Amino acid sequence: MSSFKPQNNRAWIGVLPVLLVVAFSAVVPLMTVVNYSVQDILDFNTRFFVGFEWYQETLNDQRFIDAFVRQVGFSLTILVVELPLGIAVAKGIPKESRFTPIILILLALPLLIPWNVVGTIWQIFARPDIGLLGVAINALGISYNYTVEPLHAWLTLVAMDVWHWTSLIALLSFAGLTAIPKPFYQAAELDCANRWQVFRHVELPRLRGVLIIGVLLRLMDSFMIYTEPFVLTGGGPGNSTTMLSQHLATMAVGQFDLGPAAAFSVIYFLFILLFCWLFYTSVVRTDD
Amino acid sequence: MAGISLDNLSFKYPGAQDATLSKLNLNIADGEAHALLGASGAGKTTLLNILSGLLRPTGGVLRFDDLDVSNQQGRERNVAQVFQFPVLYESLTVAENLAFPLKTKKLQSNVISQRLDYICSELELDELRSVKPAKLSLFQKQLVAVGKALVRPDVSLVLLDEPLTAVEPRVKWRLRQTLRRVQADLKVTMIYVTHDQTEALTFADRVSVLTAGGILQTGTPEEVYASPEHEFVGHFVGSPGMNFLPANALGVADVERVGFRPEWATLTGNQSSSTPKRGHLHGSVLRIRVQGAKAGRPFGLVTMATSQGEIAIRGYIPDTSITAGDSLGVCVHRCIGYTNELKVSDVEFL
Amino acid sequence: MRKFSISRLVLIGYGIYLLLPLYWLLSMALRTNADIVGDFSLLPPAVTFANFAEIFSNPVWYKGFVNSLSYVAINTTLSLAVAIPAAYSFSRYRFLGDKQLFFWLLTNRMAPPAVFLLPFFQLYSAVGLFDTPLAVALAHCLFTVPLSVWILEGFFSGVPTELDEMAKIDGHSFGYFFFRIFLPINRGAIGVTLFFCFMFSWVELLLARTLSGASSKPIVVVMTRTVSASGLDWGVLAAAGVLTVLPGALVVWFVRKDLVKGFALGRVS
Repeated sequence: MSSFKPQNNRAWIGVLPVLLVVAFSAVVPLMTVVNYSVQDILDFNTRFFVGFEWYQETLNDQRFIDAFVRQVGFSLTILVVELPLGIAVAKGIPKESRFTPIILILLALPLLIPWNVVGTIWQIFARPDIGLLGVAINALGISYNYTVEPLHAWLTLVAMDVWHWTSLIALLSFAGLTAIPKPFYQAAELDCANRWQVFRHVELPRLRGVLIIGVLLRLMDSFMIYTEPFVLTGGGPGNSTTMLSQHLATMAVGQFDLGPAAAFSVIYFLFILLFCWLFYTSVVRTDD
Repeated sequence: MAGISLDNLSFKYPGAQDATLSKLNLNIADGEAHALLGASGAGKTTLLNILSGLLRPTGGVLRFDDLDVSNQQGRERNVAQVFQFPVLYESLTVAENLAFPLKTKKLQSNVISQRLDYICSELELDELRSVKPAKLSLFQKQLVAVGKALVRPDVSLVLLDEPLTAVEPRVKWRLRQTLRRVQADLKVTMIYVTHDQTEALTFADRVSVLTAGGILQTGTPEEVYASPEHEFVGHFVGSPGMNFLPANALGVADVERVGFRPEWATLTGNQSSSTPKRGHLHGSVLRIRVQGAKAGRPFGLVTMATSQGEIAIRGYIPDTSITAGDSLGVCVHRCIGYTNELKVSDVEFL
Repeated sequence: MRKFSISRLVLIGYGIYLLLPLYWLLSMALRTNADIVGDFSLLPPAVTFANFAEIFSNPVWYKGFVNSLSYVAINTTLSLAVAIPAAYSFSRYRFLGDKQLFFWLLTNRMAPPAVFLLPFFQLYSAVGLFDTPLAVALAHCLFTVPLSVWILEGFFSGVPTELDEMAKIDGHSFGYFFFRIFLPINRGAIGVTLFFCFMFSWVELLLARTLSGASSKPIVVVMTRTVSASGLDWGVLAAAGVLTVLPGALVVWFVRKDLVKGFALGRVS
């Protein structure tokens, strides 16, 4: 936001509708969650204040810790794959060609497919009996079945997320790359810079802004992932692909453990805020 | 360092009707500061891109010393360029920026630090060595960009593409002075591209005036000013440009038109001359701009309407009471005769 | 030499990776179940449109589409209606608590939908909105409104304030200026925002599933339920998948020119 703006508290009138909508759909539910998280609820008329008991219980719960570790592992894995891959894809897109719009539309397509359909597509694609990928891998002599083998399930999940979201990084990077003025490339050419140096010293510094947005979005969204693994693996085999959201949904809706689920929710939300904040401050720090 | 020669150099964009550059011939001596002066669309940028290797000429030959570089890549030519806005590696410090072109050439580290020390002291950049470009002013950034262009000990040619465009107005002259001094110290071949005649005339040893893809004249700033080979040069160089009138207005024979600089004439006061004399004109004053006084006499620019066209005269104003509408005589001392826009003769009036 | 750089190869490879699952989905949608579980073949042995016919003749399926589109429509309308005045305020004025409010709005985007499942369920049940498209639309607003405000503020800030003053000098009322001058200028921005709202509301499953009962079941839910009910009806499932990809493809096609600009959000550098 630019700083040369007149002070006018009547501008609150414009903001009021947003405030009302978001308050209705965020503040009230969030207060409910916080309220539940400190109570033991037997039914809606019988409840006891239990303080931080549910928080302690959640943080000591092995299933929570396992899901958390899996979640962090998953988010970091997909970032490590999607970030360089997305940048490489963006660098491969021709800047001014009649194919450019077609390529961009194709790239944007996975972003607009309902998340459970993404799961369905990959289910159909990767099943060892009817899926192109599953059949192909088995035909190569590698025994592959993601519905049975935890490692296979895990890899399939990563492959699916890469398929689903690398486009976001690629489109953001492409927007960033097209904004680099030509003289920067020309100067590097005359300096006899090699391709790696051009990327490292010309392109990467100029992609910083879009990449921060991209990493933040991927970090939050991958931390919330629910639908795709739910459809693809159902969290299995065993609990090997059960992420935080699915664990929470099972607790809240499946088992109706309101208090623990609420404490879990608060911790979960705080973790995402913490991760985003850590990432953001660390990149801003290295700036100076 | 190298001398540069253009031999019938031409360039035509694919699919374009006309050539952007047609048959340019130009020799630039080793260590010369050369300016390419022209309005936008004259082909300056195309020529610059050919010199830097971004474009290949479609005809003719470009030589660095005796080597034909027409089809060499930019990186093979040992050329450096300073752009309209500062182009630096934003993630590197000033010192790392300056060392970058040396490191890619795999020079020894003691040579690199020697060159760095030399350039930093020459451009007074010592205090900024460890600063990142984001913290510098536009002037400082452009100074570093100049340093980066000059740091290579063996650079053949430094191209300057309107390097003062982005610099804050109050320090423009400082950057130009620095450029001029460094060029004189290092004796690097430089080509300075600009549409600003003051920059060109004050910077360069020699100037080439370009228009519509051709070089109209190449010469020292004095030559280009005092003896324009082409009417366009007379018109384009100088502020205001040369006055042009039909040859008979000054009584000159054998040419179509005559041109004279505003300084080549003096106002002679209100005289109603009886017979038209060679080199004499009269007209009525349109505007007077007094620019100062010399030896107690007002000095300035007077615009006048004559029966053959409008002219501007720079010099002493004979009478302080003169106002717009007054009738005055003009005595031209010298003029140049043009036919088909080309210089034919040089005429001095006695 | 530059034409076949590594990154161009990566792009081609990634393009194939992107298209193969989609091809397989389409290819499955055009087969009978017997062909699907029968001998493996790259191309459908016999092309059939029976799976699509099944979807269009079964009211559960097409009602699912109607339900989905209705909450997506409500959500995008509502999001734009509240986000536009807010974005205008943020872009034009400083006011008490503006920065804090802006940041707080963005943190809502970081909240996992799963956290809100239960409270949403209870809240909407309490006010009698459960099992209506409005409930899903309102729930999605939590995510689409902050994003809309963010995108629109970026675009609105780029419109010079002289425009506002000119209209005032010309004697136009604020309403006339806002609806007849300001909004038409920002048509592109509104298009991009619409795209992002659609993108979220159309693809989300968790909230949509929790907040809709028997009468407002959206297509994404119909898909998951029908599959579990009928076991392995792969053909119909694939056909439904194809049909849910289509609206997305249509939307991308319409906003293709604004897409890159929209991703850059005017906030790139």
